[in-house]
Amino acid sequence: MAKSLLLISRQAPWSGPGAREALDIVLAGGAFDLPIGLLFLDDGVFQLAAGQHAKVVQQKDLSANLQALPMFGVDDLFVCADSAAERGLAVDALALDDLNVLGAADIAALIDRYDQVITL
Amino acid sequence: MSTLHVLSHSPFGDSRLASCLRILGTHDALLLCGDATYALQPGTVPFDTLQANGCKVLILAEDAQARALPIPDWAEAIDYAGFVELSIQHDKVNSWL
Amino acid sequence: MKTLTVGERRIALDKDGYLADLDDWSADVATALATAEDIELSPEHWEILELLRAFYDEFQLSPATRPLIKYTALKLGPDKGNSLHLNRLFKGTPAKLAAKLAGLPKPTNCL
Repeated sequence: MAKSLLLISRQAPWSGPGAREALDIVLAGGAFDLPIGLLFLDDGVFQLAAGQHAKVVQQKDLSANLQALPMFGVDDLFVCADSAAERGLAVDALALDDLNVLGAADIAALIDRYDQVITL
Repeated sequence: MSTLHVLSHSPFGDSRLASCLRILGTHDALLLCGDATYALQPGTVPFDTLQANGCKVLILAEDAQARALPIPDWAEAIDYAGFVELSIQHDKVNSWL
Repeated sequence: MKTLTVGERRIALDKDGYLADLDDWSADVATALATAEDIELSPEHWEILELLRAFYDEFQLSPATRPLIKYTALKLGPDKGNSLHLNRLFKGTPAKLAAKLAGLPKPTNCL
């Protein structure tokens, strides 16, 4: 059994390579059928804002890429409720389906469930 | 299950420390290295927050020494051998990159 | 820079033979790319190429093999969404080769 991996993505989408790198790790892991989860924490929740326009800042469309996660076999998707609330994002209006919304205590338990964790 | 959370960024103007403390599990520990040791600067919000939190705090001694930061009694100074030891003692290591 | 000649047009390719500009793609370009790979495009090939372009349109990336199989099964059913069918059509490397013929960038998640 392959070791499970939780990727914690906490960078805003257009501030630097962090958000893209986190997604690339997850997609590569999914392509190899690794048990993998993705948690959006802190500014990482901004990746989930609806109605973004990557083209106007000459970036690849991260929002569209995120929609491919289920195709890559990545179904364990989580978002931190506090991070979203602090940033004025309603968790029921985020641009990704089937997100599990977690409080701080749930996140500690989530990290416990995985063999390895990477925070970017 | 226990996780060793490793922070290396300055807590001033960065949310890693605050975020980490929020999701810290009861059996987890926090290791400060590099610029994260600036949290030991007395009389600051990060210092007071860590002291009040009561979680287990480890400090990479040489990084604190290089920055002239005193090790408070609620934290424990370790060297690289201690870092390795801690990594083994915990089920996993979460480096906040 | 590599180029592909299609009729009167000279089309720029990257170092791996993928289209430098996605907008250069057409049925004639796909046929020429396939010929260069010793493949004669059948209706079964074309439906996969169209599927890949739909995938790219939706997700803005080229799928690795597993997501390609999953997406094909979702859209065309399990008879076509399996590695046997796709490997047979695209010489055993469906993600890389079909992406090339569909005019998409090389899949980045095929390590």
